[in-house]
Amino acid sequence: MRRTARLLTGTALAVAAAGLATAPAAYAGDGAAPGRLDVYPSSVVPGDGATVNTAACGESGSAAGDATAVGGGTFALAPTTHRGEAIGRFTVPSSAQPGTYEIVATCGESGRRVAGDLEVTLTSAAQVHPRGSVKTGVGGALGPGPVQTAAGVTALAVAAAGGTWLLHRRARGDGI
Amino acid sequence: MRKTGDAAIATVTVVALCAGAWLLSGGSGTGAPPQPSPAQAAGTGAGRDTGTSASPALPPSPPDRVRIPAIGVDAPLTGLGLTHSGSLDVPPPQKKNLAGWYEAGATPGERGTAIVAGHVDNAEGPAVFYRLGALDKGDAIEVVRRDGGVAVFTVDAVEVYAATDFPDEKVYGTAARPELRVITCGGGYRKGTGYQGNVVVFAHLTGSR
Repeated sequence: MRRTARLLTGTALAVAAAGLATAPAAYAGDGAAPGRLDVYPSSVVPGDGATVNTAACGESGSAAGDATAVGGGTFALAPTTHRGEAIGRFTVPSSAQPGTYEIVATCGESGRRVAGDLEVTLTSAAQVHPRGSVKTGVGGALGPGPVQTAAGVTALAVAAAGGTWLLHRRARGDGI
Repeated sequence: MRKTGDAAIATVTVVALCAGAWLLSGGSGTGAPPQPSPAQAAGTGAGRDTGTSASPALPPSPPDRVRIPAIGVDAPLTGLGLTHSGSLDVPPPQKKNLAGWYEAGATPGERGTAIVAGHVDNAEGPAVFYRLGALDKGDAIEVVRRDGGVAVFTVDAVEVYAATDFPDEKVYGTAARPELRVITCGGGYRKGTGYQGNVVVFAHLTGSR
């Protein structure tokens, strides 16, 4: 019984640790996750090219790419000033068979190895085009915004108070 | 002494009256966004296709930013999908300087039609593509790509289309060369129904660096 409990606790801790480890990657947004090789597009037809990028090799690190799994040979990943990522390209041969292949890059300096998946399909999925107009505005530029309206109303209230005061004084014959 | 006080109150009253009227009539609000003139439509004027020859297509790479120097745009791009009705989704309107690109279409610079969309305004005021309708044929649109390159497009036409008669094929259809569409709201505004259509900028790839 105690053993089971310990086992369960251990499992829970391991899951939590894994969650913590993957959390930063989930928040990395658009950029390549540090420990991963991004392959774009992730699905290609034989004969197409693909781009890979990774942030794993540091700000100005280059890397050696390996696409031999899919028959794309080896290629170089060069550092770019943009986002501090290393970027490379390879071509999937027209003889490639459908399936999922691992593309690998090894950092020049650290020797760190990162990998990403590439899917090869025989026919590219038909592109779906959007339809109709796009809802990209609500008219907020046309009139005063809520803050401006509040400020305007306040200013008018001040004017009304001032005007009332002056008229009141004049009515009492105090003169201005 | 009393006279000075009265004069001060009178001055404050007049200033407050003017300020209140100005604020409520729109204040520093920018008013209706600029709309393209007929001269910027396709197939009119001398600037048609701008005489700039098309550049060969770039390999696919997702975009990171869009820059339109002529109207002061420099904005990050987020990925967009489709709404359940099949129309192009839009970036979150709260982020007024955020534009989006259609992820299931061509990437900007790649052969085909790449689509970028952004808001003309949000509830607070003007947004990223407020001045899109002021673009001219021949103006440059730059897209910074994740592969580190910059795809440079040249504007061919700036059109405005009613939502009730939107030319889907012309705007979204496939192209044999690398092309770009930049879309925002326009075509007049009506209370209740909002903007009546879209301003659409047509551009093609003319360079890269």
